[in-house]
Amino acid sequence: MTAPAARPSRRRITIGKLLVTPAVLAVLLLTLYLWITHVRLDSIERNSLQGSQVRLYLWQQIELTAVSTFFVLVIALPLGILLSRRFARPAAPFAVALANLGQATPAIGLLALLTFWLGIGARTALVGMVAYAVLPVLSNTMAGLRAIDPAMLEAAKGIGMSPLGVLGRVELPLAVPLILAGVRTALILNVGTGTLAAFAGGGGLGNLITAGITTQRTRVLIVGAVLTVCLALLVDWLASLAEVELSPRGLEVRQ
Amino acid sequence: MAETTAVTATTGVTGATIELEGLSKRYPGSPQPAVDSVSMEIGAGETVILVGPSGCGKSTTLRMINRLIEPTSGRIRINGEDVTDIDPVKLRRRIGYAIQSSGLFPHLTVAQNIAQVPKMIGWGKQRIKDRVEEMLDLVGLDPREFHDRYPRRLSGGQQQRVGVARALAADPPVLLMDEPFGAVDPITRDHLQDELIRLQHELHKTIVFVTHDFDEAIKLGDRIAVLREQSHIAQFDTPEAILTNPADDFVSGFVGAGAALKRLNLTRVRDVGIADFPSATVDEPLQAILAGLRHGGVNELLLLDRRGRPYKWLRRGDLMRARGTLARAGTLVTHTVSRDATLRDALEAVLTDSGGRAAVTGRRGEYVGVVDMETLMDSVHQMLEADRLTALEHQEELLEHERATRPRDGEPQ
Amino acid sequence: MDFWDYVSSRREQLLNDTYQHASAVFQCMVVAALLGVGIGALTYRSDRAGRAATLVTGTILTIPSYALLGLLIPVVGLGVPPTVTALVLYALLPIVRNSLVGLRGVDPALVDAARGIGMTGTARLLRVELPIAWPAILAGIRVSTQMSMGILAIAAYASGPGLGNEIFSGIAGLGSANALNEVLAGTLGIVVLALLFDAALVLLGRVTVSRGIRG
Repeated sequence: MTAPAARPSRRRITIGKLLVTPAVLAVLLLTLYLWITHVRLDSIERNSLQGSQVRLYLWQQIELTAVSTFFVLVIALPLGILLSRRFARPAAPFAVALANLGQATPAIGLLALLTFWLGIGARTALVGMVAYAVLPVLSNTMAGLRAIDPAMLEAAKGIGMSPLGVLGRVELPLAVPLILAGVRTALILNVGTGTLAAFAGGGGLGNLITAGITTQRTRVLIVGAVLTVCLALLVDWLASLAEVELSPRGLEVRQ
Repeated sequence: MAETTAVTATTGVTGATIELEGLSKRYPGSPQPAVDSVSMEIGAGETVILVGPSGCGKSTTLRMINRLIEPTSGRIRINGEDVTDIDPVKLRRRIGYAIQSSGLFPHLTVAQNIAQVPKMIGWGKQRIKDRVEEMLDLVGLDPREFHDRYPRRLSGGQQQRVGVARALAADPPVLLMDEPFGAVDPITRDHLQDELIRLQHELHKTIVFVTHDFDEAIKLGDRIAVLREQSHIAQFDTPEAILTNPADDFVSGFVGAGAALKRLNLTRVRDVGIADFPSATVDEPLQAILAGLRHGGVNELLLLDRRGRPYKWLRRGDLMRARGTLARAGTLVTHTVSRDATLRDALEAVLTDSGGRAAVTGRRGEYVGVVDMETLMDSVHQMLEADRLTALEHQEELLEHERATRPRDGEPQ
Repeated sequence: MDFWDYVSSRREQLLNDTYQHASAVFQCMVVAALLGVGIGALTYRSDRAGRAATLVTGTILTIPSYALLGLLIPVVGLGVPPTVTALVLYALLPIVRNSLVGLRGVDPALVDAARGIGMTGTARLLRVELPIAWPAILAGIRVSTQMSMGILAIAAYASGPGLGNEIFSGIAGLGSANALNEVLAGTLGIVVLALLFDAALVLLGRVTVSRGIRG
């Protein structure tokens, strides 16, 4: 078997990936803006769609997503690493069972229950969002670490790496693709539960959608929904770029 | 022990001595130990092969040397220093380790893989860079081509070479190899084995090599330890000795058939007696050649060309029919054997030549002598006898050593 | 009021809601499974078609469910239509993706063997590839089912059926005596349903996955 020749390092983020999604989003947003500003709004709609109001909701949504993602990473990654260590093996089935339970719980129900316990507000929403998104990151981290070829780990130990060195230099880099996939899923979930934060008094674009439904004003509803969709697609796009950029080069599997 | 290698001024050997004393490994829950009290002394710069059937514990024994598996009892000494209890991570950085699947990290380039241990020890950037190039050269890979490649773009043989380069990068005095050539095709394996021999000639590391292939063991080893179940040593001796005088049925079963022929592979023509043969050169006049034949009392001579290289075999009958010129007389020499050839090659040449002898040539192809069946058989018999005696001696020594180190009755194990 | 007292007093309504929740999820999952496997079966042989299918269904999944509902309401109104549409759309991706991976992941040697004995493409699909891909497809159906349970809860806000109505009642009546009980009843009900459905699917797997490829 002859070795395939070494290809010159390809740019992994192609122009297409870089431009298509933002372009589509920009067009979408522009269309929305032009439509809303040129259509005649009644007083209720004008009230709900005040520029400052919308901007506030948007900002709250972004904040909620960012902060909750941060906490999810801080909690789930170390926990995932810990639970995949040999000494934690007996605890693993409990973690899995808990995870399954978490998966089965509806987000809205969780958020609502939390308001009884923690009151209304952004903090409650954050706790709910973090709890909901920890699962995919945790399970993917554990799965990624478990999937590493034991021969690789033995080779690493054999050449003299300390256990911490093995974790940092071999295990984590090799598990990155799966971990990043989990993070990406968590991010999407976060945007989703973030829209429900409105029900917990946490603010965000969910309020616009709710307003649209309760006042029966379709236009308000559309603005809220479209903005949320654009935000979600933007976050997903950024996450996909990070996924490509951060995955170790040598691991690329030819699809 | 100094961080760098221990170079002995006299021999240029960079390897370290290894002493295994009563090394055992017991796993909880199994009645028999996986490895039962292995004791061995390995000299500096020596290549020792651990060979045995699957499950005999040879890999376990190997991995106790760098304490990937911690021994349940026994001691390990490297260059006299007891390393059984020191920090295993630090120990492993001083020992090279190459395994069957090469264990290259797929997310790092070839250069980054090789640079792992030097980086961990704390070498400077430039020193590491130079060393990586040196190592790639050493294992026969063009640095320019392979420096930035990823392991999945390498063939099996190339991956193994990088694995060896990585093991040797920090210049350890000891190299442990666990069936490193097991996963490649036979042709590549052959090349890799030759490379290892070449490397050893240059570096003189102490190598402990595990394999289940006895032919590989004979080819590579200075000494071979044939292991039984639980790594009990059946015989620990040179390849020649084991081939000629297997200690018992187990060992001879392992050696397989054709031990004597395999033995022939281990000696070179220059090590045995080369007979002289009457010869003459083309320049000499015909009469002188005839006279030489008559005086020599033989029926044949070897004609050399102007540069002294074997040209034709001439029999007395050929000369009679020569009628003045040697142009068409005699049989051309087709098979010659150099002094570096193995006795097996010599035997092959002697068998295929119609006259039952083969001309031996020196470095530039010039005639130095002749081997024939008689001299070959004489030399081989002498050789085999000497080997047998050596083997018996060593077997005695081994038994004595075992008696001495085996715990006496009543003493705790 | 104590939680259990609440449950027994509102037993009939709760059971009704539970039944509606379960029935809605069940029906939507059947539709989604048929559609999803169908899309997978139509596109798995082509690289591009498969990628397009994954892209479209994946984009749908990126959209937060509440937003999607919001977009559907102007189009199909309130109540059951947006609920069912949203549920089916969301359930598609995991099933489509797993169908593609499962069907494409069949050992090429097996495909070759099937062709070698003279099977047509359709026969191959039905007799070889689908049965082998079934465990993966089932895994996708399980994920979708769990998701659907949660999404249906949200759809209650748009007058959809199911236990979500309990939850939103509780939210709306925040501060009142029964608010917590309502939310708790709704949430627990959904959790129990989700676990039950999951167990049922695992059982289905045990029964339908050929012993030769189990585990």
